[in-house]
Amino acid sequence: MEHRDLIIIGAGPAGLGTGIYAGYYGLKALIFEENIPGGLAAEIPLLENYPGFTEGISGRSLIDRMVEQCKKSEIEIHQFEKVAKLNLEGREKMVETDKSRYTANAVIIASGRRPKVLGVPGENKLRGKGVSYCAVCDRAFFKNKKVTVIGEGSPAAEVALYLAESVSSVVLICLRPRIEAEKILVERLTGKRIEVLTNMEIREIKGDIKVKSVVLSDKKTGDTKEIETDGVFFQLEEIPNSQLAEKAEIKVDEKGYIIVDGRGRTNINNVYAVGDVTNHSVKQVITAVAQAEAAVNDIFEKRGV
Amino acid sequence: MSKIVKVTDQNFEEEVLNSDLPTEVDFWAPWCGPCRMVIPIYEKLSEEYEGRFKFCMVNVDENQQTAAKYQIMSIPMQKYFTNGESVDEILGAVPEHTIRTMVEDILKKFPTDEKGRLKVLLTSWAEHNKKHREKFNKWVEKVNNLSGNPSYESVLSATQEMEKANERLSQVLIELQRGE
Repeated sequence: MEHRDLIIIGAGPAGLGTGIYAGYYGLKALIFEENIPGGLAAEIPLLENYPGFTEGISGRSLIDRMVEQCKKSEIEIHQFEKVAKLNLEGREKMVETDKSRYTANAVIIASGRRPKVLGVPGENKLRGKGVSYCAVCDRAFFKNKKVTVIGEGSPAAEVALYLAESVSSVVLICLRPRIEAEKILVERLTGKRIEVLTNMEIREIKGDIKVKSVVLSDKKTGDTKEIETDGVFFQLEEIPNSQLAEKAEIKVDEKGYIIVDGRGRTNINNVYAVGDVTNHSVKQVITAVAQAEAAVNDIFEKRGV
Repeated sequence: MSKIVKVTDQNFEEEVLNSDLPTEVDFWAPWCGPCRMVIPIYEKLSEEYEGRFKFCMVNVDENQQTAAKYQIMSIPMQKYFTNGESVDEILGAVPEHTIRTMVEDILKKFPTDEKGRLKVLLTSWAEHNKKHREKFNKWVEKVNNLSGNPSYESVLSATQEMEKANERLSQVLIELQRGE
């Protein structure tokens, strides 16, 4: 069985940040990513406030640089390798994937969050035919067309603003009573004349060979209406990917976020969690990276003793 | 060395629709992160399947005609072609084994060797005949006094001969498969 100093689960900013610091401290580390590196951060059109990038940087470019940085310090990234089981009881931690089994002195969980799936009628059938989950990938196909964004919070507002730059009109549909995005983004939405509908329930996405309309109803009044649209972009509320951790008896809070201290320590010795999957109150790329450094530093200091 | 062919609006017909091999076309764009992440998988497969399966890429930003023709609205999108027709597709970035399964399936369904193609042709021929035979039988059931009508006699004997021929065709197919 292959052994590493450190195994990292997830290759979003938290996992890649962990890799970069592990490389810096000379730890042999391996990152597992069940998909491709990036996670939710890769879909952010533009990070405007990440220190060091005066013009801003797209989530994907930042991820690409982080992957490069990991490779430079010889941190291995196994993409499309899914962790199936964790055995964290003993001194040696066991990680079983869909391809092989590994052991490590320490494990860092950086599995992030995933968007909820709404699963409304028509959503799956029209995927790739106007239904999109990646505004950065697919915006170009909707130039001068009408689009709808279905989602919550700042990410949905960001996507609506990003689309508004090239499409003819944007309707942002929120399922909650309020948009719940950062104030500055809400102000910008008004400036761009993006129509915002709140407290809505999505009934159906209609269309045959491509999306034609969205049927929705007002949760309060029950009024139903149909909005003509060429594209539907989903940006829904995110939920933590903590099921594996929970099975391995790592403690989570009532919403499923892994409970950590300031150094990313969980209730199990030498098992850490960083980034969006934790109960840290702020969920940003920069806080994920900061959590990564705190955790790796803790591992390094312990090893030094 | 990657064997991926970069295809444009100009040579799409020649490279893809007129290709002798089953062909995969990856619709991508430089701004699409997931697209770039799966390119190495296609590079690898293009080497491995050289001479049996063709792998192409279309940059949708530079080749909007082709993208529009195939109604691409989400990338990465991989379309699979055989004999000039789109036969299947994969939407999104997927792991290697998913792509491999698709390629193997298509090779099975659309063989490129002489014997393989003959088998596929004969199978579909026999199935086609069987379907028509069933439809004909249903029709006979509805028109119950058929045998009494002399003008249908020749139809009946012709269909009986057809059924015999079809049985023989199925038999030949089995022999062909045994012979491997």
